[in-house]
Amino acid sequence: MSGPASVYLDYAATAPVDPRVAEVMAECLRGPAGNPSSVHPGGRRARARVERARAQVAALVSAAPAAIVFTSGATESDNLGVLGAARAARDRGRHVVTSRTEHRAVLDACRRLEREGFEVTWLRPGVDGRVLAEQVAEALRPDTVLVALMHANNETGVVNEIPEIGRLCRGRGVLLHVDAAQTAGRIPVDVETLGADLVAFTAHKLGGPAGIGALYVRREPRPALDPLLFGGGQEGGLRPGTLATHQPVGFGLACEIAAAALPVEEPRVRALRERLWSRLAVLDRVERNGAAEPSVPGILNVFFAGVEGESLLLELEGIVEASSGSACSSARAEPSYVLRALGRSDAAAQASLRLSLGRFTTAEEVDRAAAALVAAVRRLRALAPEGAMERVA
Amino acid sequence: MSPTDYSPRVRALFAGPPCAGHLPEGPGERRRGEAGSPEQGAWVVFEARVVAGRVGEAVFRAWGCPHVIAASALVAEWLGGRPIGEAADVDVQALAAELDLPPAKLGRLLIVQDAAASLASLGVPGR
Repeated sequence: MSGPASVYLDYAATAPVDPRVAEVMAECLRGPAGNPSSVHPGGRRARARVERARAQVAALVSAAPAAIVFTSGATESDNLGVLGAARAARDRGRHVVTSRTEHRAVLDACRRLEREGFEVTWLRPGVDGRVLAEQVAEALRPDTVLVALMHANNETGVVNEIPEIGRLCRGRGVLLHVDAAQTAGRIPVDVETLGADLVAFTAHKLGGPAGIGALYVRREPRPALDPLLFGGGQEGGLRPGTLATHQPVGFGLACEIAAAALPVEEPRVRALRERLWSRLAVLDRVERNGAAEPSVPGILNVFFAGVEGESLLLELEGIVEASSGSACSSARAEPSYVLRALGRSDAAAQASLRLSLGRFTTAEEVDRAAAALVAAVRRLRALAPEGAMERVA
Repeated sequence: MSPTDYSPRVRALFAGPPCAGHLPEGPGERRRGEAGSPEQGAWVVFEARVVAGRVGEAVFRAWGCPHVIAASALVAEWLGGRPIGEAADVDVQALAAELDLPPAKLGRLLIVQDAAASLASLGVPGR
């Protein structure tokens, strides 16, 4: 007889597809053919479904449907927003502001801009993980054309001061690109409140399929964007290529479901996260990475003094599915650059786990995961040399 | 092979490592060997009781990835009954083969080997 299924605590990486989303996508795939760009009835049916989906996606972030550009996911949305906006503005200035704790989709795009002759200011957040408006204000220059910051960090869940930064950028005539991959569908996101010109988000973090995302592009004033791809002129010429109708259809329904569930889910998941933290806090020397608030409800990043991340993950295999603060992808450990930027040592970053909860997480699962984590940490600490609690800190 | 691929042998040793913990009180000379650090990704301590030049009992404690814990357990077990001088003769290649070690992790085994070797030649009295 098999035991209980493992507890999935990796919603920040990807969330399970809502069964209703899977069903509508399958129905769409089984239906008659039709390219949304075709003018025959099948094409028009497909176009209608795509446009309905666009409206559903737009509603999640309180945007006009025409402001939504479908992409392959948040990485492409970030690339299009950052590279597209900076390149289009290069005659006006070649300075970009971002932070050291962005997702690689933004970091690597900014590094690409450096190779193209842009200068990038890399802000370092405080130990609480937040990038403050005053840091951005100090970094802005007359030749700054773009600020690119995440709404909430994907490892710590800490929410940045985006509305304040948005007002600042607007006042200085600087474009603001916001990576909202971790917030869309998890906390209220209103593009007007954020003051953003460009907002990237994705379906698979909120119960939709992987392989589709969106870039919100402000309508008035509309920022100039250089496209990354060239072809059939779809998506206003910003993202050419035939839309796979079932993908936006699934994304749209996932956004509608997430928006409807938000008033209940946000406090429920936040309470579950605090329940998890309270059960882990029975251990000596455990600490949260990043501020507890303001944060997205489902992310808890915990440092366990005296343990090693890879061993902790194996100890939890089959019981809890989570992400380590380290990616031990080579002989030399590669600790999280986000936690390093927050001041953690390599070893402490390695001894950290990101536990992320979501819509299908239950209190029973939280309790089971917490019990497994406490037992795993105690066993690994008992195996470690004396002094490990102090040295891995 | 990914660095986080674990052979059945590694999984078994990690789940129930023999010779883990502290050396109990008893007769004979106590020795301690140590190598590595958290900064190096592995930190291993061996303790052994030596009676008439032979290891009567050896134990380990380790901070590191599952391969390090498994390798340390194997070495501690292997040390039992051997002349203490042979602690310097841990065969890393044989150990890697037995554990089906990902090549990227070979450096970690060198730390286990160093800790055993220091037990033999540079060992300091235990606690």
